[in-house]
Amino acid sequence: MQSNLAYFVTNLLVVLGVLVHMLRPLTKSSHKFASFKGVQRLLTRCKSDNSIPTKKYDLVVVGGGSGGLACSKEAATYGKHVAVLDYVEPSPQGTKWGLGGTCVNVGCIPKKLMHQAALLGEAVQDARKYGWTVPENGIHNNWETMSSAVQNYVRSLNWGHRVQLQSKNVEYLNAKGYFLDNHTLEATDAKGRKKRIVADNFVVAVGGRPKYTEIPGALECAISSDDIFWLKNKPGKTMVIGASYVALECAGFLTGLGFDTSLMIRSIPLRGFDQQMAHLVTDHMASHGTNMLWKCVPESMEKLSDGKIKVTWKNTETVEAGSDIYETVLMAVGRAPETTKIGLDNTEVQLHASSGKILGEHGGDLERSSVPHIYGIGDILEGRPELTPVAIKAGKLLAHRLYGNSTVQMDYDKVPTTVFTPLEYGCVGLSEEEALDKYGEDNLEVYHAFYKPLQYSVAERDASQCYIKMICDKEGDQKVHGLHFLGPHAGEVLQGFAVAIRCNLTREIMDSTLGIHPTSAEEVVKMHITKRSGLDPTVTGC
Amino acid sequence: MVQQIHVEGHEAFMKTATEHKGKLVFALFSSSKDGAGSSWCPDCVKAEPVVKECMKFVPDEAVFIECGVGDKPFWKDPNNIFRKDDKLRLKCVPTLMRWGTPQRLEEEQCADSRLVQMLFEDE
Repeated sequence: MQSNLAYFVTNLLVVLGVLVHMLRPLTKSSHKFASFKGVQRLLTRCKSDNSIPTKKYDLVVVGGGSGGLACSKEAATYGKHVAVLDYVEPSPQGTKWGLGGTCVNVGCIPKKLMHQAALLGEAVQDARKYGWTVPENGIHNNWETMSSAVQNYVRSLNWGHRVQLQSKNVEYLNAKGYFLDNHTLEATDAKGRKKRIVADNFVVAVGGRPKYTEIPGALECAISSDDIFWLKNKPGKTMVIGASYVALECAGFLTGLGFDTSLMIRSIPLRGFDQQMAHLVTDHMASHGTNMLWKCVPESMEKLSDGKIKVTWKNTETVEAGSDIYETVLMAVGRAPETTKIGLDNTEVQLHASSGKILGEHGGDLERSSVPHIYGIGDILEGRPELTPVAIKAGKLLAHRLYGNSTVQMDYDKVPTTVFTPLEYGCVGLSEEEALDKYGEDNLEVYHAFYKPLQYSVAERDASQCYIKMICDKEGDQKVHGLHFLGPHAGEVLQGFAVAIRCNLTREIMDSTLGIHPTSAEEVVKMHITKRSGLDPTVTGC
Repeated sequence: MVQQIHVEGHEAFMKTATEHKGKLVFALFSSSKDGAGSSWCPDCVKAEPVVKECMKFVPDEAVFIECGVGDKPFWKDPNNIFRKDDKLRLKCVPTLMRWGTPQRLEEEQCADSRLVQMLFEDE
């Protein structure tokens, strides 16, 4: 666009210049002579666009997050000339952060640490029952102490990545990348200085950012996950809007830290996840202090004179209106890919019509876009799980294929994950809905169990939602299609089982494996009651 | 002009760092030199000329504190104050840091001029 305009203006000025030059002999006025010089000066200024320095690389990675860093470092091990561009556009509320991407700065890492902070609060309460002297008037969390410890750790990761890139000879540019065409990128730094970059290969790994709804007041009043981990002052009474794992996890740790927290869900929780498990997760949250607002949609937000926010909503079932005043409103209604501001419309890279993500799977390569030397990895890639380990693995394998003569493609199947809500939910493989859809009810057997973690006994904790479910074939060796675990340390429990499922785990192998006692994980191998039998799946005895 | 200060020991370091509170402070922790000017830490010896050369990258308004941690027996004690102090938590010498931030370089990293320059110039 810019070069077209420059071309037009240049042509226009040439014509004007010629006209002025022709008219000059007709008058002795110095005024017209001066304007010709002015035209010459303008011509020179327009042409100077081409004098922006251009640098060439073997590989340029746009985005220094989980995928981008992994890909660039791997490519550098092959001795390639690699550059990573990373730039953080501040959130609407002005939050920004360093190198490392979403996971390190405003995702997985601070999330898990704050989740841990909340869990420790519960543990201290349990400690009383185990004989520890705990203050009678309870314990309190200091947001400033907790958040600055988390932020400090994140900053050490930012620095660690800087050092790693430097040590591995990857050039780091703290600049915004913008494609001018299929082969050229313009990098603009915070001070507006521009560089032109050309490369044999480009990898787009710019990830996504939180969406904001279009309801009046949202942009001014609400924060997103980009902001919550960097708040200087405690969030206070908070309304979380959304049903994503981001919404549930944030509402979960805020409740655990002692804040009056509400969670507004428009329809179903954790869309895309097994719904039976999702509802057990929210049941647990509801019975542990989170105020659930089901089937409600926000209508407006307004900042009051004391800085608090008034939120109004409508219950779509009862048609009742509701409103309340909060210190913080957190929107977690989904994420949008960062494809709109990086100039991809100047390239022939095709994006998915509704998601806006980069379409891969060209030329037999899962990460290759419609332009053979431009690739997409991580959250930016259409149709793949938005998870750090997925982005990292895809990035590394891509580097091997580009420079290491490898033909190994990424396996996006059977990717395990965990939702770090107050009661954690880990899963690998198909949800019950997906399995029923794929195989049919007659061909499936679902084993399940309600169990009680041993440590809950003395602590007198409610284990109503501690539940496990295994979905497998009904006949034959009963291959396991999906495993779901709801309980403490779900991620730790599930990791090993994810390996087993990749090895084509069957019910027989599961059944023949002895449990480790006493653990919650052993209940997975001990499952024997089917949904079909209608029997009570509550684990009894030792 | 970067203000360069040499101190010996933990107490002197903390006093000096506190005096310059609010300013941009860099600190290099190295083995203390003996009477003959020799250093017991080979990595510190390697780092010294590199850090000196990179001083030109330190912003003018900054303060650079060079701190001798003590002799080898003192340092080897796993409970020495440099290791235990929450604000320092030194794991090794040499350690070059931007005081008050998680940004630091350790051991052979301090002899890598590109890393030292990056530490001094990072915004």
